[in-house]
Amino acid sequence: MHMMRAIKQGQWAVLLWPYLLAISIPLDCRDEQGGLSRCPSISQEKLLDRVIQHAELIYRVSEESCSLFEEMFIPFPLQLQRNQAGYPCITKALPIPSSKSEIQQISDKWLLHSVLMLVQSWIEPLVYLQTTLDRYDGVPDMLLNKTKWVSEKLISLEQGVVVLIKKMLDEGMMTTTYSEQSLFQDDGQPEMLESVMRDYTLLSCFKKDAHKMEILLKLLKCRQNDIYSCA
Amino acid sequence: MMKKVLEVILLLLLLVFTPHAKGTRYSPPGKPALTRCRSPEKETFTCWWEPGSDGGLPTTYALYYRKESSDTVYECPDYHTAGENSCFFNKNDTSIWVNYNITVVATNALGSTFSDPVDIDVVYIVKPNPPEKVTVTVMEDKGWPFIRVSWEPPHKADTRSGWITLIYEIRVKLEEENEWEMHLAGQQKMFNIFSLRSGGTYLVQVRCKPDHGFWSEWSSSSYVKVPDYFHREKSVWILITVFCAFIFLILTWLLHMNSHSLKHYILPPVPGPKIKGFDKQLLKNGKSEEVFSALVVSDFPPTSSNYEDLLVEYLEVYIPEEQELMLEKSMDLDVSCLKSEGSTSDSDSGRGSCDSHTLLMHKCGVAKEEERQAEEARRHQKDWKEEASTYAHADMVSPDMSSGRVKTWPSVFSPLPRYSSNQQGSLEMAKQHYLSDSLFPPSSKSSYHTQPGHGTTEALGPSYWECGLSNKQPHLLHPEAQAQRQLQAHSHDNISSIGRKQTPDGLHSPALRSTEYVEVQRVNEEDMVLLQPVSGRGDMEGYPQMPHGEDYSKVKGVDRDNMLLLQREVREETENCDTLSTVTTTQKPTACIHSAMPVQEETVLGVNGYIDTATICTLPTC
Repeated sequence: MHMMRAIKQGQWAVLLWPYLLAISIPLDCRDEQGGLSRCPSISQEKLLDRVIQHAELIYRVSEESCSLFEEMFIPFPLQLQRNQAGYPCITKALPIPSSKSEIQQISDKWLLHSVLMLVQSWIEPLVYLQTTLDRYDGVPDMLLNKTKWVSEKLISLEQGVVVLIKKMLDEGMMTTTYSEQSLFQDDGQPEMLESVMRDYTLLSCFKKDAHKMEILLKLLKCRQNDIYSCA
Repeated sequence: MMKKVLEVILLLLLLVFTPHAKGTRYSPPGKPALTRCRSPEKETFTCWWEPGSDGGLPTTYALYYRKESSDTVYECPDYHTAGENSCFFNKNDTSIWVNYNITVVATNALGSTFSDPVDIDVVYIVKPNPPEKVTVTVMEDKGWPFIRVSWEPPHKADTRSGWITLIYEIRVKLEEENEWEMHLAGQQKMFNIFSLRSGGTYLVQVRCKPDHGFWSEWSSSSYVKVPDYFHREKSVWILITVFCAFIFLILTWLLHMNSHSLKHYILPPVPGPKIKGFDKQLLKNGKSEEVFSALVVSDFPPTSSNYEDLLVEYLEVYIPEEQELMLEKSMDLDVSCLKSEGSTSDSDSGRGSCDSHTLLMHKCGVAKEEERQAEEARRHQKDWKEEASTYAHADMVSPDMSSGRVKTWPSVFSPLPRYSSNQQGSLEMAKQHYLSDSLFPPSSKSSYHTQPGHGTTEALGPSYWECGLSNKQPHLLHPEAQAQRQLQAHSHDNISSIGRKQTPDGLHSPALRSTEYVEVQRVNEEDMVLLQPVSGRGDMEGYPQMPHGEDYSKVKGVDRDNMLLLQREVREETENCDTLSTVTTTQKPTACIHSAMPVQEETVLGVNGYIDTATICTLPTC
């Protein structure tokens, strides 16, 4: 049986032998050519640029959604009370460098891993946010679309960071996310105000983390070019 | 087990022998090829392939892809969404982080054929849909219309978040033309088009392109009609043109009105001397008598005021020490007189200084005065014009007669001294004038010219005499005018009579009968030779009898003390004076001259002049 399967697989391999030949010839491509390019893989620089661009977009959209949410639901007096008491950011516990000095000391590997951790830790909360926002009355479609978009792009970003890590660090990736469930807990149906406040906190925290992601990635890029002129 | 082995062997055989199988009609399928892969919004993409020959058998196609980093081969998830021979990758299957390696396989009963693999980077195969909701409106900017084009990006492309950045391009053309006008609009979604043709219909199209990718298709045409408008700038120019044309017309009209005066201002007519009373027509008719009679002016001699106006300068009589000098000068004068004479055959000579023949006469006369003083007494004076006619008559009658003697005229003329260059000029003019007025026969004139060296004091004397007299002393001339003229006429007659010894009485006017002789009285302070008639003076030999040789007072010369030396001459025989014709025969003429008692008048004339000794032949010895 095993032998048969192996033979069948071998048949497929034989059938696909020119295909394999093509694969085995890696072409280093650096030029950008539209259409049917002959480059087997995207270069590291391009990949990093795309990841950074991705992160920028995510940050921008998150900023827009946060301000939208703020206008809609948060009364003015409470707008100044961001991150006060109440609800700390969920990612506070993550071993992510936050100060400038820490960031300068961190290695590339740790940079990437930090970014990946951030991204992975935010995927689920954003999904949750989507559900809670639907429950509210009078939520503008734009806000909903934005949050939806952000959650989608975040997943894409995660993929990109994974690929980047694989390229840069040449290490396989554990696709398993961190145990984010522990960070985020669904407490059921809170009060309206509480829910709103929590959501608001969530959005603002996410906005900050998205900004952090962007910063880290840009620093990484800067390091790629010139290690001494990056701050 | 055996069956499995058999299967494997069969398969292997198939593999080995498939290429060698030479079906007449059936064959494995041809090689398909991936033609293109496109992504409309960077989130999904589609690939199309071109099938090869099917080999006569039903062929199936399969698309397999592999992601960059993994070796896992996947098959196309969707063969139908994008149409035939296509594969659609949805959002979940599309990743911008990795390349795709895609292969198409064609399979039929006889075998499979693989296409060439293609690597795809989703970011670089983006070809968006054309822009949507293209609106074109005509707007106005200070009277000038322009087109405003606005559009929206394709709804699938997510430009709002910045996922895709699109740039746009617009093209415009007139409905009836073939050339499109392209405009690049960048990332803006609105564009203005200026410089439109009024009344034209324009077509507008828009397309877009991401920063890395392909241009989309052109949107459908939007039509817009530009309303008719009048070029305000043009109207201003038209106004200016009309105004300028109007001004130009006015100027032309003014110019036309004043054309005459302008012509005179710009091109002044050349003044020409006109002899009062001289009629060209009469001259053309050939009747010189009439012409001359027409020239006669009743108020001749002109009054002193006229003379003074006419005269430019005063005549200076110069009396040299030698007679030859005088002769020369007289000859020079003669020459100049003659020369100028020749050119004054027309009445409109245009010589400024000699517009008046009186001037000419004067100058001629002064030169001759020195020599012809002796002859003065016997000359009757006439009007210049009469004299001219007289001369004409005389000459006409006896052109032949005087031809020989005429030659003496130059000599007569020549001894006259040149008082000054001016005077000589004036003398010349006077001579000319004299001659012109008299209208000597051509022969005589020519003789004058040709023989400048000859000088018979006879002929010259009177003429010069008269010249000088008439010019300078109007008041004195009056009584003497007759004498002068008569002198001249007489001299002419004498010339003619030299040959013939006849008195062409008929030639002379009755006025010639009585000849008066004048002698130089004195020279006034203005260097004017004053002559007074002399009648019955003892020393003046030869009562004025025309037929006989008569005494002529000739200007002998002017000595250094500015004394005009006159001498009389009695000519009894003309033959002797024939020899006067030759310049060289100075002796004989002198003999003639001296036949009469050359009484030198001691009248002194304060004249300044020059005597050309070279030409004078007669006087020196007289």
